[in-house]
Amino acid sequence: MQIVAVFFVAVLVNNFVLYYFVGICPFIGVSKKVDAATSMGIAVTFVMTITAAVTWLINNLVLIPFGLPFLEYVSYIVVIASLVQFLEMFIKKTFPELYKTLGIFLPLITTNCAILFVALIQAMRSYGFITSIAFGFGAGVGFTLAIVIMAGIREQLEVADIPRPFRGAAITLIVAGVLALAFMGFTGLVSA
Amino acid sequence: MIIIQAILLMGVLGVGFSVFLGFANKRFHVETNPKVDEVEEVLPAVNCGGCGYPSCAAYAEAVAENGEDIDLCVVGGAETTTMIAHVMGVEVAGEDKEKLVAVVFCQGDSEAAGFPGEYRGILDCAAAVYSQDVAKRCKYGCLGLGSCVNACPFDAIHMSETGIPYVDAEKCTACGKCVTACPRDLIELHPVSHEAFVYCKSQDPGAIARKVCKKACIACKICVKAAAADDNPDAVTMNGNLAVVNTENYTAKAEYGQKCPTDAYSSRKNSVNYESFIKDKPKEKAAAGGNNKE
Repeated sequence: MQIVAVFFVAVLVNNFVLYYFVGICPFIGVSKKVDAATSMGIAVTFVMTITAAVTWLINNLVLIPFGLPFLEYVSYIVVIASLVQFLEMFIKKTFPELYKTLGIFLPLITTNCAILFVALIQAMRSYGFITSIAFGFGAGVGFTLAIVIMAGIREQLEVADIPRPFRGAAITLIVAGVLALAFMGFTGLVSA
Repeated sequence: MIIIQAILLMGVLGVGFSVFLGFANKRFHVETNPKVDEVEEVLPAVNCGGCGYPSCAAYAEAVAENGEDIDLCVVGGAETTTMIAHVMGVEVAGEDKEKLVAVVFCQGDSEAAGFPGEYRGILDCAAAVYSQDVAKRCKYGCLGLGSCVNACPFDAIHMSETGIPYVDAEKCTACGKCVTACPRDLIELHPVSHEAFVYCKSQDPGAIARKVCKKACIACKICVKAAAADDNPDAVTMNGNLAVVNTENYTAKAEYGQKCPTDAYSSRKNSVNYESFIKDKPKEKAAAGGNNKE
């Protein structure tokens, strides 16, 4: 039951982009077209899930037993970067079609703050292994949801008659703020 | 003690992963054609889509892998074609193509055609056609909302003060974005050296055409007769209610339009669409026209 709760909290209530405001760079940068946004979302979900699993292992099997939790940041970065590198090679060789969809997004998100955030939060909250994976997956789904909604709105904004001072990045940030307000409506849906 | 442990751990992680990645790189190595990168390097990297591929990289792959024609890059022109030929080790086939520029086939600016009412919809030509099909009075003419201006990646097409697009022939690379952007198919690509065109697409009968636009072709056939008198009957022909310059041999001369009562048949220098093509034009005029995009 806790696993389901953690998942939905990560997707809706504590949405990474709209609640914690991490991962804003891809959220603003790759949200111009729904197609690209979907690919980005899938890539992020993919990496987040795997990151959650691997960093849980590193944290609980290496860092905590040896009394080195202060190495969290450094070791997570090393692990995540190497892992994504490997994933890229693996996918390129094994699933060329998937590689074309994810394309340049995979290496781009290696050093994304949202990914590191997953690793740090699950360690901070001492989740179990399965719960950690559910948390990472939920965070990814939440990110996808946010970026796809954003891309849909921005596609409409292309043809909208926006007052000149608000054009470009300004209106994008305003929309992000309004979206965050809307997502506050989910507060209290699940208490975790 | 803990320092040693920390150094050991990071060392093991670092070395372990580098060995692992090095091994994986060999194990999962995918052969890619080095020519793809080389071709991509000589392309202009503007990703305009003029060649029919979504990006320069996609075109480079098509050239290197699937033997696509090497002369499709309209932006780079002959120069790029030569460089691709050099990379691919093939000879350039045929003569160098002449530079093409976009030609706007309408002179119906606000002075000539005028607006029947106020259009307050989305500021996009295609949207205007779909929603109300109005802008100016002529239902064949330019809508004046500037979708072609927005489509141009090279800043080569601008709105004049009177609401008709004009082309900067020097900046135009003939990528064809404006051609597809125009919902009324008023823009075509033609060789830069050819001057004389009938700058109109109206199929309205003469009486109506004249009423809606001062510069419409009214199908009087004076230019056709002039061409015939010059022993060149193929140069200008009639297509319904519209005189059309033959674009297969480009033999029409500007003189055929001397007697054109509406100036629809015109040389490029005299048409409103090529303000900026005139080299000795006053500078303020160009600046005023260029700023109209906003």
